[in-house]
Amino acid sequence: MKAKFKLSNLYLVFVFIVIYLPIAYLIFYSFNTGATMDKFTGFSMKHYTTLLSDTRMISIVLNTVVIALLSSLLATLIGTLGALWINQLKRRSAKNAVLSVNNVLMVSPDVIIGASFLIFFSFLGFKLGFTSVLLSHIAFSIPIVVLMVLPKINEMPRTMIDAAYDLGASKWQALSRVILPTITPGIFAGYFMAFTYSLDDFAVTFFVTGNGFSTLSIEIYSRARQGVDLEVNALSTLMFLVSLLLVVGYYVLERYGHSRRVNRNKMMKGPNAQ
Amino acid sequence: MANPIIEFKNISKKYDDTPVLKKIDFEIESGKFYTLLGPSGSGKTTILRMIAGFEDPTSGEILFEGKRIDLTPANKRPINTIFQDYALFPHLNVSQNIAFGLELKKMSKTDIQAKVAESLRMVQLSGYENREIDALSGGQKQRIAIARAIANEPKVLLLDEPLSALDHKLRKEMQVELRALQQRLGITFIFVTHDQEEALALSDQIFVMNDGRILQSGTPVDIYDEPINHFVADFIGESNIVPGTMTADYLVHFDHKDFECVDAGMRPNEPVEIVIRPEDLDITSADKGKMQVTVDSQLFRGVDYQITGHDADDHEWTINSIHQTTVGAQVGLVFDPEDIHIMRFGEDEETFDARLDSYEE
Repeated sequence: MKAKFKLSNLYLVFVFIVIYLPIAYLIFYSFNTGATMDKFTGFSMKHYTTLLSDTRMISIVLNTVVIALLSSLLATLIGTLGALWINQLKRRSAKNAVLSVNNVLMVSPDVIIGASFLIFFSFLGFKLGFTSVLLSHIAFSIPIVVLMVLPKINEMPRTMIDAAYDLGASKWQALSRVILPTITPGIFAGYFMAFTYSLDDFAVTFFVTGNGFSTLSIEIYSRARQGVDLEVNALSTLMFLVSLLLVVGYYVLERYGHSRRVNRNKMMKGPNAQ
Repeated sequence: MANPIIEFKNISKKYDDTPVLKKIDFEIESGKFYTLLGPSGSGKTTILRMIAGFEDPTSGEILFEGKRIDLTPANKRPINTIFQDYALFPHLNVSQNIAFGLELKKMSKTDIQAKVAESLRMVQLSGYENREIDALSGGQKQRIAIARAIANEPKVLLLDEPLSALDHKLRKEMQVELRALQQRLGITFIFVTHDQEEALALSDQIFVMNDGRILQSGTPVDIYDEPINHFVADFIGESNIVPGTMTADYLVHFDHKDFECVDAGMRPNEPVEIVIRPEDLDITSADKGKMQVTVDSQLFRGVDYQITGHDADDHEWTINSIHQTTVGAQVGLVFDPEDIHIMRFGEDEETFDARLDSYEE
């Protein structure tokens, strides 16, 4: 049994090495004194200092974050309302039709979505830039939010909404006091999914970004085409650390929330334990 | 019936052309415990949901204290419901759940607190204010659901199979408590169940339903002793139902003999069905019995033995007896004339009542 345990561990370690090796390689060379990844010539932070003094890069990072925050927020709002609307559709066929339309957007290639947005915007005579990127990010995030929120709505017992009306709630009160608090985990999950999709989208953004406005993925791509620049390595390292912190933070929060709930229940059970 | 609190007038309900209620008429008096009893799919829950306001009738009128209510939305009706799955709000704690309706009514904080405490006392869960819903047992959830409903001081409380998720012992306890609570509050309870034992134990009035119709309404004793037809006799309690003919008033023929009975008002030689409850049959020796059966099986059930046998015509008879017998033996059965209940074929409740009135003073 011990040998088996070791073997499976070994496999796991191997998989993780394969996945993380390129990232580790990239991080390693971000500290290189030289300008290329051919040879490690010595430790230095010079690529980080160039990065921090590169105002164009910093403004692009800010652009990317603003687009991600705004688009995921609006997509969550629209997607949640959409999911609620889909849920209250009476006819099964109508429900399935709307869901299929929603899911087609999820599976269709980004390139096609991006190209169609480009055609659409130029047809309308819409100037490409911040707004066009924001709108298309909202558009491709909505189906993600719907997919994350809808199961939570379906899980919610129908009688709970009946109970809200029964106790005197208006439609709005039932929504704000019962339905929304119950599906909050799904809404949050949808928001974070939309946020990450927007952050790392390349294909759609590539089509609708136009001149003068750029997001991180586009910028890194165009710089990488001109030749290897270790400033990109430094930036990637920083982004990797930020996402690592986000993931760790998420788990800490979840653990904290869970243990607090359990503790509270334990405390309450104390005096009245049967 | 002086002033009914709820009246159903000619109510029908269809789901996509499938009728679930067929021209229902009934009245509900204030302050009593009513039970809608029937198998699943009989339409009893639909009636309850119509009173609550979650379903609209396809045709007909519902009156509440003499005024039409079927167009009033659920949130405007002075009626509260206890749901089968309790439907407590998991994101709120116990006191927030109970206060939900009161807050919507804009009641003051101190009044709400007092009302929550009072409701919890009513269901014997004082001190549970700050518990999370997830931390409650099934029975406790049940009580909180009751507390949440009665905190709103409804004029009618609807209960949709509220005890079906509890284990047998807890269910018995909650039955006693529900009955006591109804008497203490003095409000109308309308209880939906498919458990005939529960219906008999709790109710002032029972409506027995099947297939979208109310077959019989009456007190538990009336319905048990004088079921109107085969379905009701079979559904309520255990019964022996055998075919026979009415020789004359107060004389019924079955098992090749005439027996004295207490029913009358039928045509001479009319084919009928005879109901005798298993607990009304006593076992004696074959020669002393009014009729003879051969014992086929015997089950010990704790309080008594359930004995089944067959007569000369191969009709099955069930006898509940505290005395043991032997399988395969021929035994005699004795019963009194009032233990025999006669049912006519296809008689509805109105003619049944009229016939009873014609020979009972």
